[in-house]
Amino acid sequence: MMTAVIEASGLGKAYRRTWALRDCTLAIPEGRVTGLVGPNGAGKTTLLRLATGQLAPTRGTISVLGEPPAASPAQLARVGFVAQETPVYARMRVADHLRLGAWLNPGWDDELAQRRIGQLGLDPRQRAGSLSGGQRAQLALTLALAKRPELLILDEPVASLDPLARREFLRSLMEAVAEHGTSVVLSSHLVTDLERVCDYLIVLVASRVRTAGEVSALLASHYRLSGPRRDTGTLPAGQDVIEESHTDKQSTLLVRTGEPVHDPAWAVTPVSLEELVIAYMNPANDLPAPRPQLGVAS
Amino acid sequence: MIRLTWLQFRAQALIAAAALAAFGALLAATGPHLASLYAASGITGCHGGTCATAASGFLSKLAATSPYPIMYVLGIGLILAAPAIIGIFWGAPLIARELETRTFALAWAQSITRTRWLAVKLTLTGLAAVAVTEGLSLMYGWWAAPIGQAARLGYSGQPVGMGPFSLPAFDAHGITPLGYAAFAFTLGVTAGVLLRRAVPAMAITLAIFAAVQIAFPLAIRPHLFPAHHTSAALGSYNGTTHVSGSDFAFTVDYLPSQPGAWILSSGAVNAAGQPVSTIPAACAKMPAGGPGMLPCLTSQGTRVAISYQPASRYWAFQATETAIYLALALVLAGYCFWQLNRRTT
Amino acid sequence: MIEFQLDETSGVATYLQLVQQVHQALRMGMLEPGDQLPTAQQVVARLAINPNTVHKAYRELEREGLARARPGLGTFITRSPSGTDPATQARFLTAMTEWLRTARSAGLGPDDIEAIYRTAFRACFAEGAA
Repeated sequence: MMTAVIEASGLGKAYRRTWALRDCTLAIPEGRVTGLVGPNGAGKTTLLRLATGQLAPTRGTISVLGEPPAASPAQLARVGFVAQETPVYARMRVADHLRLGAWLNPGWDDELAQRRIGQLGLDPRQRAGSLSGGQRAQLALTLALAKRPELLILDEPVASLDPLARREFLRSLMEAVAEHGTSVVLSSHLVTDLERVCDYLIVLVASRVRTAGEVSALLASHYRLSGPRRDTGTLPAGQDVIEESHTDKQSTLLVRTGEPVHDPAWAVTPVSLEELVIAYMNPANDLPAPRPQLGVAS
Repeated sequence: MIRLTWLQFRAQALIAAAALAAFGALLAATGPHLASLYAASGITGCHGGTCATAASGFLSKLAATSPYPIMYVLGIGLILAAPAIIGIFWGAPLIARELETRTFALAWAQSITRTRWLAVKLTLTGLAAVAVTEGLSLMYGWWAAPIGQAARLGYSGQPVGMGPFSLPAFDAHGITPLGYAAFAFTLGVTAGVLLRRAVPAMAITLAIFAAVQIAFPLAIRPHLFPAHHTSAALGSYNGTTHVSGSDFAFTVDYLPSQPGAWILSSGAVNAAGQPVSTIPAACAKMPAGGPGMLPCLTSQGTRVAISYQPASRYWAFQATETAIYLALALVLAGYCFWQLNRRTT
Repeated sequence: MIEFQLDETSGVATYLQLVQQVHQALRMGMLEPGDQLPTAQQVVARLAINPNTVHKAYRELEREGLARARPGLGTFITRSPSGTDPATQARFLTAMTEWLRTARSAGLGPDDIEAIYRTAFRACFAEGAA
């Protein structure tokens, strides 16, 4: 059984009367790049803040690397975090940020940090406030990577970057994963970013988890069926309808199933990740309950 | 974390050091001359009644010699303002700025707990705040020592040489600036933690601190210890006489029998000790501002009743007030820790 | 050394694209047995994809018997894919050219030909169909 880097059970967080996150049960496997996708306000930031210990749960439990979040400086050292908008100290120089990392982190790898800064072409004497958005994001990533965490959590790190800066950031991130085998959890509201880099996906909409699983398993278990008009109640038991649309003569369905589709009446086509996520994100779709974690034995 | 706190605090520390150095230079330039004036005044080695005369003479001379009156007032003003300035510029932004710019997320993502982060920032910057203010106060205290000595013995009626208990002087001398600085600083930090924005926190800190600094000496300080009571014959003190129509009022500013005391209240009373303000029939025919009015009233048994705090209690007041402010500072600091650890947003 | 590309619009899974590009390179003679495939780090540095994808592609190549991972050294091509000698390829190229010529004279345009081709291709190779 694969160990989970983040485990949540019935996790919920409420502010006064509204639930930012509800009934969240997850087991994010290690050694993966996990994408957390959903519309703005769906609860992604809340989930990540619960994982880093910035927030305490209202209900349920969450454990990170086997311990409660931010349980001790030792546990904090094992988890790297890059917050939304990748904050840096505007008046401090790039070099000072690296010293900050060295002072506060017992596991700080200064050689890695200096090497990355050099590769990125950042001027150590430059004040962080005058860096471009992409450079700031790379600096924040350097700080998170150089403490050599087992798990790296990033909250919408590329949301406000231009396409080139975005690609460079993800490239940097993937190089680090290739080199160190770090588990990564990153959130985004752009699916196209995640397709390249994620092999595990969680779809979060309106404070609930709509689906979660290995990307390859998700793609292998969802199909688009189109054929003559049909009542969805007539479908075999193993096929769950995620999305449906009907004209007077034709039905088009997006189904989730564990078995190949044998009915010759259907034209069966694979579904792209983006189509899959959009279908799960669409509030108009009445979704069946999420399957037990695909690809991770419970 | 200590090094990080210093890195973030460096610029402010340099400004404070420069201010201290400038003030110190000013004091050093004029201090020796002040000391020589004091030495020539005959206060050292005086006994009994000559002390009061010598002291009063010294103070009056000083009040007429520039730049001492200005420097005296300026020094007090600076020390009164220092806690407020520190509270606003060091205290309010300490946490608020990190919350505002979200750099706290960067700091907390390092392997450090919130408690330690706040503890180091609060303690180091707070100690610096207290040190700077107390440093100002000590430097000034050294410079103004001759004036303080004289103020315990004599009276000039001028701002220079106001009694040690008088409002501005008490706040600027001794150890009370230490307490004010600690309080103003933690007040600023608390405002920052609650409001999460530096500029509103600065405004609120200034408003609340000013209000407390005005209210405390008026409402609480006089009651820290039970007052002493005495009475004095009319004209046996320095003060003001006010006669209009058929009413009169007397106020005492300085009582020679209690040099350096804090006059809390004073008023005319009759022989039985009841307050009076109407000219009795027997003296009604005296011209109002004339020299005969006072002897006439005295013959009717009119005296002035005074409640005061003796000069010997000066340090008791200083210590008590400082302790109260320090306690307030600790409570506020504790609240900040609690609030920051609550983990909501 | 082979340099991989990624076509995000093709709808084909990334790891399969890498596998197909290796097949293609072997067919074209750009890769020969004994050549080293790029390391996961090299591929990631160029394409900014998940390194697990590269591992998956190389595992697939190993499963097909085309490559072998040598711990500490890298992944190497072991043999060419079978049944793809140039003579066979030339035969099918001739047949395809003839078919296209016939289709054009029958009045089919490029889009019609493309649609016919894709339908037949999917029917032949698509996953999940009965």
